[in-house]
Amino acid sequence: MDTHCRMIMDEYLENASNYDFLKDKVIELLRDVIDKNGIFITGIEGRVKTADSLSGKLELKGSKYASIDDVTDIVGCRVITFYNDEVDRIAAFVENMFIVDWENSVDKRKMLQQDQFGYMSIHYICQIPEGLYHDPERPELNEIKFEIQIRTALQHVWATIYHDTGYKNDVEVPKEYLRKLSRLAGLIEVADDEFQTTRDEISEYRNHVRSLIKGGQFEDIELNGDSFKGYLELKPFDKLNRNIAAINSAEIQPANLFAYLEVLKQMELKTLADMQSFIKRDYEDAFRLAVHQLSGKDIDIISETLGIQNLCLVKILKDGGRLHGLIRFYDMINGKKPRNAKSAERVLAEAEEIGII
Amino acid sequence: MNINMNQEEKKVALEVTGRLDTTTAPELEETINSCIEGTEEMVFDFADLEYISSAGLRVLLAAQKKMNKQGTMIIRNANDVIMEVFEITGFVDILTIE
Repeated sequence: MDTHCRMIMDEYLENASNYDFLKDKVIELLRDVIDKNGIFITGIEGRVKTADSLSGKLELKGSKYASIDDVTDIVGCRVITFYNDEVDRIAAFVENMFIVDWENSVDKRKMLQQDQFGYMSIHYICQIPEGLYHDPERPELNEIKFEIQIRTALQHVWATIYHDTGYKNDVEVPKEYLRKLSRLAGLIEVADDEFQTTRDEISEYRNHVRSLIKGGQFEDIELNGDSFKGYLELKPFDKLNRNIAAINSAEIQPANLFAYLEVLKQMELKTLADMQSFIKRDYEDAFRLAVHQLSGKDIDIISETLGIQNLCLVKILKDGGRLHGLIRFYDMINGKKPRNAKSAERVLAEAEEIGII
Repeated sequence: MNINMNQEEKKVALEVTGRLDTTTAPELEETINSCIEGTEEMVFDFADLEYISSAGLRVLLAAQKKMNKQGTMIIRNANDVIMEVFEITGFVDILTIE
């Protein structure tokens, strides 16, 4: 290594503690803005170039750098997203937050020709503006340039494999393997687009279902996780729960009703209109069952699931499910347990006593 | 009501016997509060619990809410009388009962 490069290495070693500090600070600033904007990402990673790696770089092209300040990737951070459009959203944050050295920043996606498939990532060379962060004891932090890369998880996997096999390897990789990697890059580009499209379609479907539920068009809505969630927002079991609670002036404890979705599907309720009919038909008997069970008992607290639980029990019995149907119900709610048979027997006896069946 | 507590590192086992009602629930609440800090697994043995009222349910509910944030809470060996209370209140959907 010549004197010039050794001087750059000395500068690097003098600044070592600042680099680590800067890396952590940049990650913190990025994480903060990403969290505040509600973007769910795969992760943020950072590294400080090792002395060995810098030394290798200087051996190759040391004359290109006048000082350590010209080596702009000593500190590097990488944001890995799930979707393509999140790369652009985070890129916009980076451009707003940091001072961008546009001359040395590059959007690799735009460098590919129409018939080329390969590395896709955005690289920014940045500095932290004093307005964003300034430590009087480390004023150098605002001077040091660092690199931020942004890419999707799929692009990240491709780039890592490509980096290991075809790019930074000492051994030249045969053309046929590089071609395979290019084909995979094309595949990944398609996959990234498809993931984004699918996400958008799901979101569109959810909005559509929400508007149908709001408009009371239950016939058209298939009963599934999304529609059940939207349906629960209408609080369809609240009236029954309130009436049951009134038996003993009980308080209603919030609980998760979602476990009942599978039970409802097993009972062959196919649309939200089926749900409506089911509640309407079995409401009175579900209430009578609760009156029979709770009256005269020292119980003034119930779960929000009690209304739907009793509705399901009544429906099973009215549809001819009897003991076997009730055991199946408890198996689904509690998991398969020997005591489920006893619970089923008790409910069957109670239902017979009050004439539900 | 009697409470037999066995605490080992981050695990707490509580054997509750007798009646868990308005009179006795505060004692169970106090015992739970004394050991819940840092606990990752809380197991109740209700094999000899004869009765539970709303006051008892509320104490279990508060413990379950705390344990949801820091670990697991399990109720074991509840007899038919206790199970009936858990079922007719819908608490089977709130508590983890084995």
